[in-house]
Amino acid sequence: MNSSHFKKVILLLVSIGIIILVILGLRIGDIPTGFSDIYNAVFNYSENNLSELIIREIRLPRVCIAVISGAALSIAGMLMQTLFQNPLAGPYVLGINSGSSLTVALGLLSGVQFFNSELGLIGSALLGAFVFGLFILFTASFIRNQIGLLLFGVMLGSFVAAIITILEASSQAQSLKAFALWSMGSLNGVSIEQVPLISLVFILGCFGTLLIVKPLNVLVLGEDECRLMGYNLKSLRLAIVFITALFTGLITAFCGPIAFVGLAVPNLTRMLFKTQNHFLLLLANMLFGAFFILSCDLIIQALSDTILVPINALTSLVGAPFVIYILIRKLR
Amino acid sequence: MISFKKGSIGFDEFLFSVEEVEFARGAVHVLMGRNGIGKSAFLNTISGMINPIKGSLDLDGKALYQYAPKELSTKISYVSSSPSGVPFLSVNAYLMLGRNQFTNVFGRGNASDHKAVLEAKQIFEIEHLSSKFTNELSSGELHLCAIAKAYVQQTDYILLDEPTSHLDYANKIKVYQILEKLAKTHNKGIIISTHDLDLAFKFPFNFYLIDSKNQRLRPIKDFKEVELEFKS
Repeated sequence: MNSSHFKKVILLLVSIGIIILVILGLRIGDIPTGFSDIYNAVFNYSENNLSELIIREIRLPRVCIAVISGAALSIAGMLMQTLFQNPLAGPYVLGINSGSSLTVALGLLSGVQFFNSELGLIGSALLGAFVFGLFILFTASFIRNQIGLLLFGVMLGSFVAAIITILEASSQAQSLKAFALWSMGSLNGVSIEQVPLISLVFILGCFGTLLIVKPLNVLVLGEDECRLMGYNLKSLRLAIVFITALFTGLITAFCGPIAFVGLAVPNLTRMLFKTQNHFLLLLANMLFGAFFILSCDLIIQALSDTILVPINALTSLVGAPFVIYILIRKLR
Repeated sequence: MISFKKGSIGFDEFLFSVEEVEFARGAVHVLMGRNGIGKSAFLNTISGMINPIKGSLDLDGKALYQYAPKELSTKISYVSSSPSGVPFLSVNAYLMLGRNQFTNVFGRGNASDHKAVLEAKQIFEIEHLSSKFTNELSSGELHLCAIAKAYVQQTDYILLDEPTSHLDYANKIKVYQILEKLAKTHNKGIIISTHDLDLAFKFPFNFYLIDSKNQRLRPIKDFKEVELEFKS
């Protein structure tokens, strides 16, 4: 089997895996449901049927956001890694999430009603992610060391966490509750009415990434080569940061922080596919990211009778050892 | 024709001046001079990566800075003195990046792109490296690939910063022969810098010396003038 067939077979297998996980995610739970319930919930919905109600109002949005968050964060990670030419880069470790957390915290804890609305939440999360993305971009221009940049991102995260703790301590009970709920982070917070908006932003981000696939391929060769090929480096970098912020801000707004997906999945796909073709990487990250979060969600659902595992904790459990593995490989 | 008149060169500080120099197509132009004298700065200037401190720099009768970056990339290709290998980037994919101006919006090449890549691999005798990753090559192999990448770009002018510094003796000769042939049969304007003084002089190239005493670029005819520069 030659390598291009191998890649296609893997992509096909993961796609099939996603479909199976989606079906499992819709069926498994306290109340067992059948295929006909799933069909009816989507195409022929009646809210008097309990099974259909549960699928449509609880499981369907959760499965949708699992697919989108996994895909979005993995693409964001791929973009960061190519931008900084650093396999240790990712939206979480570089503190892009922290930017969202900070602005959302400032908004919610200020007590102003607007920031508790859907639009206010997305707006503040996107703004925070974009500002912190620019900040990291600026910092990276003088921290050339790969591990140095990682450390900087981690420090940024700690710094923001400290500020948020102080904000929490000094805010009123009402706004604190809203923020505490948000910061728990879970795939359950999304309602079916929000899914179209989230999908739309996600598709916009994917489309944007598709448009810069070619310059991304050249950027791998370094900044000078990219400039010599006639690309405007400044606008390319801004485009990358913008798309990354869009993905990260979107997911952070609706699910809270989800760690390490954006770092682990792009590394895994690059190792598995052994390519720098960003068209293929985009596809692979989308599928593997979705598969990963869907699996995590299934584990969480399976354990939900005994313990409630937050999604962020589970991705960290898998992701952090993987980062350590990459670090050891790099440092040795 | 690339021409540079009444100019001076440097990254930020002045390095050397140029009274008047013209690099025609159909010939190989060789820059010589001591380490740090400004050979790379000169090639960087001509490639459009940095601006000359002063002077008028023209490409085919139009000022270089008036070219849009995209257009310039179809006229001039540049090979750095130390190209870097990238993990998981195969030699085939690397060469295809050289076809950037011809490939589709996702960077996919068509039949003529694949033909150009194959031809380059044959000319530079690097077919056996095709599916190797660029970070696994020796620096000499990587440099050959980088020159092949500039070749597939099909620009009128090719600038090479010390293209032979990582190569063994046989490959040095091979590269000089290929450059000579490219200039003659493909009517390319090729400008290189090198420290291979006596080897380069065995070829019918045009030679220029960056004189360290006067901090000035001048054409030279005789090998003795180079010897004088490096002895003083």
